[in-house]
Amino acid sequence: MSDSWAVDVQGVSKHFGDVKALDAVTLRVRQGEIYGLLGPNGSGKTTLIRMFVGLVAPNAGTVTVLGKRMPNVALLSHVGYMTQAAALYPGLSVEENVEFFATINGAEGGVKAALEFVKLYDRRDSVVSTLSGGMRQRCSLACALVHKPQLLLLDEPTVGVDPQLRVELWDGFKQMADAGTTIIVSSHVMDEAERCQRLGLILFGKLLTEGSPNEIRAQAGKPTLEEAFLSLSERRA
Amino acid sequence: MSGKRVEAITKRLLQQFRRDRRTLALLFVAPIVILGLLGYLIRGSASAPAVGIANEDQGPLGATVAAALAQSTGISTITIQAANGDSKLKDGSLTAYIVFQADFSSQARAGTIAPDVHLEGSQPGTVGPVLQALQQALISIASSAPGQGLHVQPHVTYLYGGPGFDTLDYFGAAFIGLVVFFLVFVVTIVSFLNERSQGTLERLMASPLRRGEIVVGYMLGFTVLALIQSVEVLIFSLAVLKVHNSGNVALIFGLEALMAIAAVNLGIFLSMFARTEFQAVQFIPLVIVPQFLLSGILFSVNSEPRLLQVLSDVLPLTYAVNGLRDVMIKGADLTWGSLQLDVGVVAGFVVLLVVAAVATLRRRIA
Repeated sequence: MSDSWAVDVQGVSKHFGDVKALDAVTLRVRQGEIYGLLGPNGSGKTTLIRMFVGLVAPNAGTVTVLGKRMPNVALLSHVGYMTQAAALYPGLSVEENVEFFATINGAEGGVKAALEFVKLYDRRDSVVSTLSGGMRQRCSLACALVHKPQLLLLDEPTVGVDPQLRVELWDGFKQMADAGTTIIVSSHVMDEAERCQRLGLILFGKLLTEGSPNEIRAQAGKPTLEEAFLSLSERRA
Repeated sequence: MSGKRVEAITKRLLQQFRRDRRTLALLFVAPIVILGLLGYLIRGSASAPAVGIANEDQGPLGATVAAALAQSTGISTITIQAANGDSKLKDGSLTAYIVFQADFSSQARAGTIAPDVHLEGSQPGTVGPVLQALQQALISIASSAPGQGLHVQPHVTYLYGGPGFDTLDYFGAAFIGLVVFFLVFVVTIVSFLNERSQGTLERLMASPLRRGEIVVGYMLGFTVLALIQSVEVLIFSLAVLKVHNSGNVALIFGLEALMAIAAVNLGIFLSMFARTEFQAVQFIPLVIVPQFLLSGILFSVNSEPRLLQVLSDVLPLTYAVNGLRDVMIKGADLTWGSLQLDVGVVAGFVVLLVVAAVATLRRRIA
């Protein structure tokens, strides 16, 4: 029943020259699930996410997204991708940025809802270059979800966002997931990991282990995710 | 001031350049390329304008002046038939021809020296040496016939332009195109690089946008700006600077617009080979300057060394410059074969660059 998987990665490897970015990774993400990709910088999280949108082609293995083998350009209107650095047009206003990304993804309307979701509707006329880092991050998030994608890929989405707003955004993610949106979040922030339904730990391009936060703590025999992650990493290294 | 800290800055700077091959190339390869090209162009070019001499004089004087002209170092002379003169001016093989009429000697005996001087006229720089050589040759006659009050009165006619035609008229035609080409190129390459460095290109690539849509969208956006700029440049050149124009203004605008679109696509294409704005600006001495030197703006392509003529003949700017000059100086229209070639080559280059820009965009991302 591959149809029920939003993302199905089978034996994927990728090397850039001599550097092995991903090594025989197999993982599946259910529809409507919030899945966290955890791992230190340079572990391969971003390479994997870029594969989900067809920006990186694997050297071996297959990537299937929403039932279609990647790369598949037409499918991308159902995927929202928030890159690690807030990729926005600094000379446009908040609203103009969100409108642009709505249009290229074939969405009509939804700009107001997206801006309200990230609490930037009051600042919709501000030019992006005048915004703080956290506000840009939120604007970038609005651009990623304005077209109501079935799969939302968030590469470290809440860096620079204050704790109170981070809680509100995660409540929003939870609502989206309940409504059927699949969300894949990469992070090295453990309190974000705690909010995911399932986690995949990635180290040196390999998937170390998968499971719910509770399962991972139990597997490592540690009280916190942070300690569990460090302990599992050391066992492998 | 601490010597150690100054040294740290100096050392850091040099270390940085060690890993920046592109900047090293700019510093050490570009000057050799540019100066070498310039040296080859100036030393290797046939600098003396070619002047045809048609001697129909029934007396002895015409032959004497022709012999004196042949000795002149400022021009190179060949003997022609007066009837072929105009066609040789048009095809560019002569910059001028001088006719000594049948009654040249007899008129001179009557006190008037009146050779017919036919100038091509589009290059003001070549008119001076021709008239100067003629004057010197005539002085030799005057000295051989002392005592008489000789009256020197050459009949000068211009195929293009006229006596009031100056250097700005000659360069203006080319610069109208060059200014637009250069500025549009710089603005496009930097904007497209911003798209890459600010991460939005990655976002566009992760959307259902096709590569061709990005390139064509960019092209149209910049073309709007470039066309407005073209209108401004054209109006300023014609109305304020009063650059000579014998051609159709719409045709000039069309050529300018083609150059602008070529510059947009060249900018997109080359932006694939740069990662920062600084690297993009480095393309100017390597890509724009040689084209500028070889396009015939400063040095006529006909007089270049043969090897460089081959290079000039494959550069699109050469055709654009030639086309603009043909229209503005010679009053060419689209029925002229040479203008059809110029427009065709520039348009073909635009198509080639669009394809190249789309192809490179794909390669770099996947």
